[in-house]
This record gives sequence, C-alpha cells and structure tokens, in this order.
Amino acid sequence: MESSKGTEGLAGEIEVEAYRRLFPLPFYERHLLESVRPDARPLNRARDTTVALGPVASADGSALVKIGDTTMLAAIKLEVMIPSADAPDEGSLAIEFHMPPICSPSVRSGRPAEVAPVISQRLSDVITSSEMINLNELSLISGKAAWMAYLDIYCLNADGCLFDAALLSAVAAFSHLQIPLVSVNDDGRVVAVSGELTEGKSKLELVNKEKRKLSLRSKPFSLTCILHEKYILADPNSEEESIMDTFVTVVLDSWGQLVSIYKPGGAVLANMSTIKACIAVAKSRVKELNNILNESLSEMEVIDYYSKKSVVAQLHADKPPKEVTSEVQKSLS
Amino acid sequence: MEYVNPLTGFRLDGRRPNEMRQIRGEIGVVAKADGSALFEMGNTKVIAAVYGPREVQNKGQQINNRALVRCEYSMANFSTGDRRRRPKGDRRSTEISLVIRQTMEACILTHLLPHSQIDIFVQVLQADGGTRSACINAATLALADAGIPMRDIVTSCSAGYLCSTPLLDLNYIEDSAGGPDVTVGMLAKMDKVTLLQMDAKLPMDIFENVMQLAIEGCKAVAHYIREVLLEHTKQLECHRGA
Repeated sequence: MESSKGTEGLAGEIEVEAYRRLFPLPFYERHLLESVRPDARPLNRARDTTVALGPVASADGSALVKIGDTTMLAAIKLEVMIPSADAPDEGSLAIEFHMPPICSPSVRSGRPAEVAPVISQRLSDVITSSEMINLNELSLISGKAAWMAYLDIYCLNADGCLFDAALLSAVAAFSHLQIPLVSVNDDGRVVAVSGELTEGKSKLELVNKEKRKLSLRSKPFSLTCILHEKYILADPNSEEESIMDTFVTVVLDSWGQLVSIYKPGGAVLANMSTIKACIAVAKSRVKELNNILNESLSEMEVIDYYSKKSVVAQLHADKPPKEVTSEVQKSLS
Repeated sequence: MEYVNPLTGFRLDGRRPNEMRQIRGEIGVVAKADGSALFEMGNTKVIAAVYGPREVQNKGQQINNRALVRCEYSMANFSTGDRRRRPKGDRRSTEISLVIRQTMEACILTHLLPHSQIDIFVQVLQADGGTRSACINAATLALADAGIPMRDIVTSCSAGYLCSTPLLDLNYIEDSAGGPDVTVGMLAKMDKVTLLQMDAKLPMDIFENVMQLAIEGCKAVAHYIREVLLEHTKQLECHRGA
C-alpha cells in the first residue's frame, strides 16, 4: 500500500505511541503480518473472561462479566403480572441494555449511545430465538398470575465486543436466577414470601414449594470477529473496532448449533470460506465460555449447599490460619 | 417500630447509634475513564467516573476563565427494591445531580482549567440509604484518580434522629421511617461545610447534636479516603519502578 511505503521512512523516526495514534492502520498491519496483535494475542484468541454470579444482592439473579476490560453487569428482577389471554401459561421477558455515560468517553449524557438500542434489540432477538428459556416455567397460576422477568444489563466499561459480553452476562444471570417463594394472600393477590417460613405458617399456601432455578435448554454464546483483508481477528477491543469496520458476530448454542449470524455491511466482502472460518473460531470459543460459566455455577452451588446446611462453627480470629482452616474443614466434613 | 432497642441500644442492623456502616473504596474501576472509583457504604454501592478536563462539547456553555463542571446521577433499574421505570430524568435524580455538582464545584480549582469541561457521572448499582453521601465520596475518589486539582477532600455522611437518639449513617429502613435526615458534606482538613440538607422538623439543640454527629462521620470517611489514596499512590510508585 502506498501509504505504508511513504510512512516507512518516518516510522524509524517517530516514537511507537505517536505512530500508533497517527497511522493506526499501518501499525496494525505490521503486527498482522507476524500473525499477532499489539496486545500480544494471536489472531484467533479472545481476551481473558471472568464471570461472577450474584453481585447484586437485591436482584433475583445477577452476574458481572468481564471480557478483557469490557465489563457488563446484568440483573434480573421478577414481578408478578397477569398473563395475556392467548398465552395463559406463559410468563414474559423484558430485556434492556443500557450504556451509561461512565462506560466510555464517547457517550454523552443526554444523548444515548448509537449502539445501545441496536444491541438491546439483538439481545432480545437472540435470547428469544435460541429458546433458552421455557416461558411456561415462568407461569404461577394458569391464566391469573405469571412472572415478568425484567433483565437490565449495564455496561460499566466499554472496550469492544459489547454484544458478546452482554449476551454472556444475560445467560449467566439467567443461570443464577432463583425464583422466589410466593403465596396467595387473602385479597387473591400474589405476594412474595421471605425465605424463613418453615415455622409452620399454615395460613399461607405456597404456590411453589421451594426456590427453584430455571432449566435452561441451551445457552447461546457468541463471538465477534473483525475482518480485514484476509485476516480474521477474534474478540476485538475498542481500538481495533474503531479502525477496522467490518465485523461478523456468530452466535452458537451450547450444543454447537448455529443460532444467529450477523454481518452488518462493512468494507470487506466475505465469501463462504471466511464465514466458515469465523464459525470454526466461534465453536472453540463457545466451548471455552461454557466451561467458564459452568465453573462459576458449580462454585455457587457449593456455597448454596453449605449455606443450606446451616453449618455453624466457632472460629477464633486470633488463632493462626492453619488452625482456623482445620476447624473449618472439620465442621464441613 | 423500634429503630433503637431500648434495652441493648442496638439498631435494626445491629449497629450502635454512633457507628457507621462498613465503607469500602476502590480506585480505577473503569479503565476508559480519566478517573473512576467504586464506593460502598454498607449495601449502597456506587460507581463514579470522571471524564476531563476535556474540550467543551457545547460551545455556548463555555466559560472563559473557569472549567465547566457537569454531573449526572442515575440509578440502575435494579438498584432499589422495586424496579424503577425512569432512572434518569425524574426530579429526584435531577436534584441530586445538581447537589453533587455544586458540592464538587466548590472544591475543584476550576480557575486552573479555563475553557474546559469536567464531567462527573455517578451510577448507583445498589441503593440502601445514603446514596447522596456515597455518590459524593465516590466522586471525590474519582476526581483524585483523574488528577484534577482540588482544594481538599470532600466527604459526606448522613445522620438522623429516631427514638430520641441521634443515629449516624441511616440505611433505607431508617431513612423511610419519617424522621429527620441530615446530610452533611464537608471539606475535611479545612473543616468547612459545603453541603447541608435536612428535611422534617427538629428542635434547634437536637439539630446541633445530629449535625455534629454527621460531621464526625464525614471526618471518619475522610480518614479512610486518605488511606485509600495513599495506598493507590504507593502502588503507582511501585509500578513505575520508583
């Protein structure tokens, strides 16, 4: 390319940071020639991902997801509503994605970010079409009461791949969701009941016997790749997204089936082999994400199990750590 | 309802009347922001992000000899017990945005940064009373992280009066009890009050006690914030290899 020839001489003289700011595309192309990216990732590797379940104690289900620096907080609140006449056995979902001004310098207060409603709509579409949630599970009393699940996802830090992180946080929040106990009070209205009612309150008749989780049929996970000439870069950060504009998002479910492909225009035209390559990278990423989510879920289950057992132990704060550990182990065994 | 147990003197959550909730502050939580902080007071969790000083976006509002300070307060939909429908535009959020802006404006040395704009965005993730105070404390940490010159650390704390006892740092249940709620914001070292808000009726002499209690709460928060900033600076020194 002519531009990179002309700047080659300059490159030796300008500092790396200045070169990166002034000529971002040639900077990246120099890296892509060596099949690596400026943050030392190979082209098909995604950033480190962590999932934390239950950060928002007041919500019925919540999750905090970080992919690299991109941070998403998802929380689900359940409210009782009257189901519609043509679907008396089904609850419903309302999914909203917010980008508050703290997440990025480009979001101005008063003017919502351009991508926020787009991601909101796509999340709704993907979660509905992947049939992850069986709406019949959200029903309480047929024709009279059902759960309306409000899922709110807040982007706390926007550094590329917002859709992937948002979808992962939504799936994690739904995996963590526990439907609270309810009963019907004297007016015929459904009220929430707090957890400790095993002291024989016979007046209250429980509609569901214990806090239960939703059984998710298949969990959708996604991967966004950027196309540039003949390169495919997986999981771009915001700098890469700003200089290369063609991206493809592939959503697969945990059984490896294709849920959605999204390529909204862009300068690079993709042929079948490129799309197939994107799908292949997405497949391995989906396995990775599934493992990460399952690990977090099993950690939560351990905590739940021991908290249900109501194990009480006397821990003395002034004893050395080894003794405390052995005391804890003794009481847990 | 007995907010203070007459026999033991404990409050509903087991605290003593002059005890604050557990506070925790963390700097640098939003990588893209110039300065950011997470501040927790008990179950109230707030994130503040500061962008600036940067170019004024609306040239009509530019001030020639000072920086323009803007603030926006918003609560997440899931932050309170019932899901909120309008997180931003409602009157309470606008009022709190104004209060935070004016409080921080009093302590930022705006004359050092003319023709520029400083944006403070505060997002409440979990609300359990004292959100105003938590927001001001978080904003102070975020401004310090952004390196914006300030006169002093601004801290804030609330106090109330229930069951004939002055109580420090009210949570949501105590706040909605209908008793007076005094919020104080002060510049810690200079010992000056920048923010004082109270609602409901209170006799003058009791008001002095309650305000003094809130001021002491502010000083305790300032002590903690100073520690957090020192720790953060030591870590920066360490990373830079000094």
